[in-house]
Amino acid sequence: MFGQGLIKGLQITWGRMFDKKQTVKYPFEKIEMFPRYHGRFELDVDKCIACGLCANACPNKVIQLEKEKVDKKQFLTKYIMRIEYCLFCGLCVEACNKDALKFSNIIDMNQYRRSWVRLTLVDRPAPEPTETPEEETPAKEAKSEAAAGQAPGKEG
Amino acid sequence: MKTETYTLNLGPQHPSTHGVFRIILELDGETVVKATPVPGYLHRGIEKLAEARTYTQVIPYTDRMDYMAAMLMNWGYVAAVEKLMDIEVPERAEYVRVIVGELSRIASHMIATGAYGGDIGALTAFTYTFRDREYVLDLLEMVSGSRMTFSYFRIGGVAADLPEEFFPAVRKFLGELPAMCDEYDGLITGNEIFQARTKQVGIITPEMGINYSLSGPTLRGSGVNYDLRKVRPYGIYDRFDFDVPLGQNGDCFDRFRIRIDEMRQCKRIIEQALDQIPEGPIMAKVPKVIKPPVGDAYAEVESSKGVYGCYVVSDGSPKPYRVHFRRPSYINLGYLGKLCEGWKIADVIAILGSIDIVLGEVDC
Ligand code: SF4
Ligand code: SF4
Repeated sequence: MFGQGLIKGLQITWGRMFDKKQTVKYPFEKIEMFPRYHGRFELDVDKCIACGLCANACPNKVIQLEKEKVDKKQFLTKYIMRIEYCLFCGLCVEACNKDALKFSNIIDMNQYRRSWVRLTLVDRPAPEPTETPEEETPAKEAKSEAAAGQAPGKEG
Repeated sequence: MKTETYTLNLGPQHPSTHGVFRIILELDGETVVKATPVPGYLHRGIEKLAEARTYTQVIPYTDRMDYMAAMLMNWGYVAAVEKLMDIEVPERAEYVRVIVGELSRIASHMIATGAYGGDIGALTAFTYTFRDREYVLDLLEMVSGSRMTFSYFRIGGVAADLPEEFFPAVRKFLGELPAMCDEYDGLITGNEIFQARTKQVGIITPEMGINYSLSGPTLRGSGVNYDLRKVRPYGIYDRFDFDVPLGQNGDCFDRFRIRIDEMRQCKRIIEQALDQIPEGPIMAKVPKVIKPPVGDAYAEVESSKGVYGCYVVSDGSPKPYRVHFRRPSYINLGYLGKLCEGWKIADVIAILGSIDIVLGEVDC
């Protein structure tokens, strides 16, 4: 009989009408994300040795880090993520073998202005060296090294 | 009576073009005399970008082709590189790939089903399939951490093992899947108005389908039994028992219907994979810096849209010399111009929707 299919469809929608709601009122209510969720980045500054592996692993050159040599140790002074170019692929987190860089499950990274999107994870001055520095040059060298580390390969 | 034809521009900002796709229609009254598809509005040059990335860094870009079934896009690429380097993928990783790949296929077919309903005018169907797709995305998020662009495959395996909580969740979802498919059938497939709009519309004959190199549900809707998973099994697909749904008439209705049937088959494959999955490593022994030997390799997988192939050329450096993707949506579109001729404007929407294109893949 013509129309049977239409009636069946109506039955389904009527049946569903009194179902539990499937959506929540974001941003007043939030759904808990799964533990592996690729949300906002977190950096454990104490664990990070400023090796630059994460910056090298990134396909989009999102991570910019600067370091200075203090007492024969690399000191991370700046760790900035140009999050607007991030693919949230997780290659950087995978590359970090000090377990310093991690994803959190914070999802709201939206901002009113584009310039606010940039994620500054570390921005601090290098501490005064305890021993007297022999010369200025080593720190400078380390800096240019870091700059080279952020630019893997040629521009696509 | 002497009549003149006129030109109508359809898209690129038209909801039924599934993205930014444009068709220039030459019309005689309401009948299409000539249809000229204009792709390219979403071109990002992924193949070119790949040349400036290391082999692993290309993986996130493949996600951005068919973002409806990103797992399958990853698969084609890593399969090509693995072939080039002669890497044996561990058993468990193969099973994980099948499970997430088939889940991705279900998610993609849900979109195809719902969006097609929306194209024809049954917008309710759209909300139903999208609700259910979220359950699949939950599962994939549990595994990979992302809901759409997973970047979960790695050269030699997968990024992480399946978490404990995944197994009961996927079993629960698979238990509900037949009821979901029945619901779509009741809502859309059985609807007489829908049938009147799609049956005997946009018929692709098996010969034409083969001549135009169509693949996937678009070809199988015409009754051609060609599914890579069956005819040339890759990975471990020869270990599973499943059927390939086929259409009879090659019309829009058949192409639509077999996608729902395919979802039911995906359920069978995943269940078998869950039963058989062995313990073991999920990554092969792969050097830290991936440097394939000089040469080239081509690998294909059956994506949700058809045969997805990837061709990789290596010059021995850590970056690919050339990467090319055979994107099924793009090739399936090749027949669109001819297919639309002689049909009415409204049928053009029905025909385009039934091919199930995704513009990220068409333009690449
Ligand atoms: S998630 Fe991917 S794109 Fe984003 S910073 Fe990490 S490596 Fe780069
Ligand atoms: S890879 Fe880890 S330790 Fe090295 S710079 Fe990045 S976050 Fe720091």
